[in-house]
Amino acid sequence: MGKRRIVITGCGIVTAAGHELEPFWSSLMRGECMIKPLSTFSVRDFETLFGAEAPLPPEDALPSHVELSGYRARCLTLALAAVRRAVADAGLPGDAASRERTGAVIGTTLGEERQVGDLSDRWSTAGDASVDPGFFARSDNHRLASVAAREHGLGGPVILSAAACSSGNAALATAYDLMQMGAADRMIAGAADTLVRSIYCGFHRMGALSKSVCRPYDKNRDGVAFGEGAGMVVLEDLEDARRRGAHIYAELAGFGVSNDAHHITAPDPSGTGFKRAIQQALATTGTALEAVDYVSAHGTGTVYSDHCEVRALYAVFGDRARTIPMSSIKSMIGHTNGAASAIEAVACALAIQHQAVPPTANLTEQDPECNIDCVPNTGRAANVSTCLNLSAGFGGFNTCTVLRRVS
Amino acid sequence: MTAPRAVQPPVAITGVGVLTPLGDSPGAVFAALMEGRSAVGEGGAKLAEIRDFEATKYANIRGMRMYNRTTRLAICAAKLALSDAKIEAASLPGEDLGVLMASTYGNMDVLLEYDRSLVEKGVQRTNGALMPLAIPSAPGAMVALAFGARAFSMTLGGTGSSFLDAIALGARWITDGRARACVVVSASSPSPEIVLAASRAGILSATEAPRVFDRRASGTAFGEAGVAFVLELAESASSRGAEVRGHVRGYGAAFAPEPSRFGGALERAIRGALRDADMTPAEIALVSAGASGLPAFDRAEAMGIHAALGAGAGEAPRVPVTAMKGALGETLDAGPGLQSLVALGSLDERRAPRIVGLTDPDVEGLHYLTQEEVVAGDSALVTSVSWSGACSALILSGGAHGRA
Repeated sequence: MGKRRIVITGCGIVTAAGHELEPFWSSLMRGECMIKPLSTFSVRDFETLFGAEAPLPPEDALPSHVELSGYRARCLTLALAAVRRAVADAGLPGDAASRERTGAVIGTTLGEERQVGDLSDRWSTAGDASVDPGFFARSDNHRLASVAAREHGLGGPVILSAAACSSGNAALATAYDLMQMGAADRMIAGAADTLVRSIYCGFHRMGALSKSVCRPYDKNRDGVAFGEGAGMVVLEDLEDARRRGAHIYAELAGFGVSNDAHHITAPDPSGTGFKRAIQQALATTGTALEAVDYVSAHGTGTVYSDHCEVRALYAVFGDRARTIPMSSIKSMIGHTNGAASAIEAVACALAIQHQAVPPTANLTEQDPECNIDCVPNTGRAANVSTCLNLSAGFGGFNTCTVLRRVS
Repeated sequence: MTAPRAVQPPVAITGVGVLTPLGDSPGAVFAALMEGRSAVGEGGAKLAEIRDFEATKYANIRGMRMYNRTTRLAICAAKLALSDAKIEAASLPGEDLGVLMASTYGNMDVLLEYDRSLVEKGVQRTNGALMPLAIPSAPGAMVALAFGARAFSMTLGGTGSSFLDAIALGARWITDGRARACVVVSASSPSPEIVLAASRAGILSATEAPRVFDRRASGTAFGEAGVAFVLELAESASSRGAEVRGHVRGYGAAFAPEPSRFGGALERAIRGALRDADMTPAEIALVSAGASGLPAFDRAEAMGIHAALGAGAGEAPRVPVTAMKGALGETLDAGPGLQSLVALGSLDERRAPRIVGLTDPDVEGLHYLTQEEVVAGDSALVTSVSWSGACSALILSGGAHGRA
């Protein structure tokens, strides 16, 4: 039989720009930068850290059935908050039979790393005694998916995907194929990450941490600014969605993947890996080059990464690369690591819904080597039928999901 | 609508690599299991280690000394599997090779070392090169880097079931043409903190070797392992004259929120795998189970197998059930990989090993192997119940006897 057509019927986000879809979208369209000096998160050795915190209302505190034992579980809190919103937005059928055929794939770059941070803080004084019995379960990142599944009574496949900063797209791709394989009828897919000490310190040592805000494609960019957040979508079969009268944001038409296998942190400078992921996505979804209306960029704000991505875009689209709107919302909500491409998938779905493209904020002087339409500073109306959502991660895993308008 | 099939067209397993305390080849491990040998100490040892493991004996990879033991085990297992499949860089472009890793705690020792150094020494005196190796996807990414795998590299986690999920996804991505060959790999070498936390949580037996499926089970023991399979389209394997170790026939997965319902989830996963393989329970010649000596989980697995494979009306299934964790320990995400190896070895040798550590079954009605037994059939079922409630089932057929 042919491929199922799989559509997005629910979206949930938690970001510095909001945790409801419309305020989030409005903030993006205005080009509001939410990256600021951090107030709730600090790291020794840094006087001021910039980032984009995602405050949550009290009702999103972890429910009592989640074993915490007094430890922090910020990533799980973000993931559950986004899943709740996606499930509610989709009006996910609540009958037992439907939930039994619904699964979840949730991705992360570092997950509950703060559990490790807490242990490290205690270790210097307590040594072995600092290791409590609950550490085994709390440090298992699969909890992001399994606790969500428990909360919503899901009975389908429940999987954690880890692909560094491609984790969100990897989760969408895995969920998509689990549905194509017949292992589930509906899936919740997305990713969550929070601000963590190890990432800040690592990027600082690599010289890739911005001292202020993220400026993708800007001549004066100085690196990555992090954010925290989560993005989730509900995927279901187009026929099922139409039958129950669900709102359809977009079709998840398919995806492309590749791996650089070039360096532990640096992408292949030629952009070849990215190019292959995009080409595979276009080929496997039957998308013509001229059909692409918007590219949601990985756009981290490092010279190296921006140049790789732009090279890949030119390699695929030729001169048309100059005119396809391609923006990075990381300039506004920070780089949310594994969650980024999941949140960006939601932004693509909203771009299709609103027929508009979000901007790249903080742009003052465009890097001449990034000769693209990066939608500077404010969003604009546009015909958006097909979006490419790009992501890349440490280790070189590149993904490109394709979202398409359903007429 | 009719559900689509997970595994179609036929996907072959053309290479297997393994490192365990009982041997470093599929043949050696299988022979040790058939002899009833165990790597798990009788005196309450918490981790069955691979003694004298030297990665350079198996793979000469640049940068290997930087990698943690989990990553080194994974790279070596992948190298052994690729060699078994007779796949080398010259014969397969990197763009046609993908890697899927099953790992939950594989980064934990590096993350702890790195983070502890940040606390104790500060950011300027901490080795920055550790950070990219500290993230959960790092071991799999380093396997892909080691072999120039440019098709894809992703990690799935599930504290037990992820290897089976990765096999199914790898088969799918091979079928869809995203790669010509896929290495599905996992390794387990839990950090001292994970072992300590598990011990304090009562997961590890304090006094004895694991009693698998046994009424007196009191906990498990961890084991070290690396295991890797190479997947290819059966047609492509045939055209290059590759020796086929087995075939991937069907996959199913399900979830339950609490141990009392894990059996029901496994039953649904098994039924899904049978449906996917277009097979009946009677066609399953062996079950290679994941039971490890944790009473609630072993009980759930036994009940799930019983419910899914019974002939109906409460009739007990006659299919033999083996389980290898009494001999090799709980190897976390690598466990279902070792179970799959046992399944393929049993189908190939036409006999299956007994369950080490079983004397008094907790759940009656299954044909537990308390001594080695002849396997009469071409297909085996591999089952997994993870600690978080994710259950997976995979059906494999043998190389010589499966469909080609």
